[in-house]
Amino acid sequence: MGIGVLVHIIIVLALSPSLLGIIGKTKAFLTGRRGPPLLQPYYDIGKLFRKGSVYSDTTTWIFQAAPVVCMAAALVSSLLMPLGGLEAPVQFWGDIILFAYLYGLARFFMIIAALDTGSSFEGMGASREAAFSCLAEVVLFLDFIILALLSKSLVLSRMIEGNILSSWQLFGPVLLLAGASYFLVLLAENARIPVDDPATHLELTMIHEVMVLDHSGWDFAYILYGSAIKLFVLGGLFVNILVPFHGLPPITQTFVFGAGMIALAVGIGVVESCMARLRLNRVPQLLIGAFVLALVGLLVVLTKGV
Amino acid sequence: MGLELALILIVFLGVVILGSSRLGTMIQLFAAQSLVLSATPLLVHPGKHAVVMAFVTVVLKVFLMPNLLFWAIRHVSIRREVQPLVGYGKTLMLGGFLIGTAFFISSKLDLPVEETSNLLIPCAFSIIMIGFLLLVSRLKAITQVIGYLVMENGIFLFALLLLEKTPLLMEMGILLDIFVGVLIMGIVINHINEEFESTNTIHLTTLRD
Repeated sequence: MGIGVLVHIIIVLALSPSLLGIIGKTKAFLTGRRGPPLLQPYYDIGKLFRKGSVYSDTTTWIFQAAPVVCMAAALVSSLLMPLGGLEAPVQFWGDIILFAYLYGLARFFMIIAALDTGSSFEGMGASREAAFSCLAEVVLFLDFIILALLSKSLVLSRMIEGNILSSWQLFGPVLLLAGASYFLVLLAENARIPVDDPATHLELTMIHEVMVLDHSGWDFAYILYGSAIKLFVLGGLFVNILVPFHGLPPITQTFVFGAGMIALAVGIGVVESCMARLRLNRVPQLLIGAFVLALVGLLVVLTKGV
Repeated sequence: MGLELALILIVFLGVVILGSSRLGTMIQLFAAQSLVLSATPLLVHPGKHAVVMAFVTVVLKVFLMPNLLFWAIRHVSIRREVQPLVGYGKTLMLGGFLIGTAFFISSKLDLPVEETSNLLIPCAFSIIMIGFLLLVSRLKAITQVIGYLVMENGIFLFALLLLEKTPLLMEMGILLDIFVGVLIMGIVINHINEEFESTNTIHLTTLRD
């Protein structure tokens, strides 16, 4: 198990920033630019690790703890997620709750760290993050309930591995609904475009980026790395739900999983290229829409009976 | 499987219509919903009857009515519902609640005819409810027409249960009625606009000299 954990963490650490690179390349390609190299996110993180951190006098230990908690929570959550042919090293009954609330913990620390700086900008970002994640969490759990009903299990790996294939034959439309609503949550949780613009740092309307304005050096690198891992893990869940590759030989599974992840990154890039960020008061509407879709999916499962 | 996919797609499009504010988008979404709807008779009872139904639905609901509605919004030059009676977020929430109610009610219903899929009735109910909600929560006359049409799509789904037993002539009559209804509403909306310089139905409740 020790080796498994180590291998898992190394793979996640090595591959997660590449998704951001693919998204950037896709956006550049669609707007007719050459764009930054695929490895740009690695360079960015490497550059930040070579720099020192600056702390404001008004901040306390919370401000310094938040990036570490963020990174650690993301890494631990990745241990619950199977990566293609590679089994999840940590599995237990009900780990789905841990999975969801590790991100809750990271978010909580980010929010109080933002409030800790005493900057009104960051307070605003924190309040928005809290409001939107409230809505996103409900949708996430509805999707989990659908998966749990279909697979009769509360173990994350069992939920997305075992019964997905037979579920697709019987409940294909439901999985499509769950997938669609989960995709919206994925975009909201990772601060991607219809909800938040990851490219702006100086706008009053943004959410996630404004909360990390005061972090620098190692701390900021941890935050960037943490969010890259979050995108990788939540994206991996999406691929696992939508692509029923389980049951193939492990090598093929890994290959299909990798292809799915690349396709997901390209898909996010396409969504970001053809949409503008929504007005802030329209964001809750998007998430409520996702909620209704997940609800319809759940009702269909309950009506048809598993 | 195909039928269920179509039904869920129809409910999905209904939810999206509920959440959109641009009239053009709403009309296009309605056309898309009707296109999926026209495939359902073929999936329930494939046969000559179903082919005719599908064909007439496509002609009327996918081409004629949306074009008519587009003509109407061009004439009264409104693009979006600016101030709905209930906000968009709240309408969506209410929509979710109503869909839940629809599923609950249909689980209690005991129908004399056999169902082809146990999703048909709940989805039909949901669409009727969504149409109702659009009808009562929006103020512009055009959006209300769209709400009425969405509701009719739900009734169409419901009628699929009796597809074999209803004479073709009667169904054609219903579709023709709706078409004429939309035609008249299009003209009436134009007149409302000329008379009141607005298509806001709230003005229609106050008396004027």
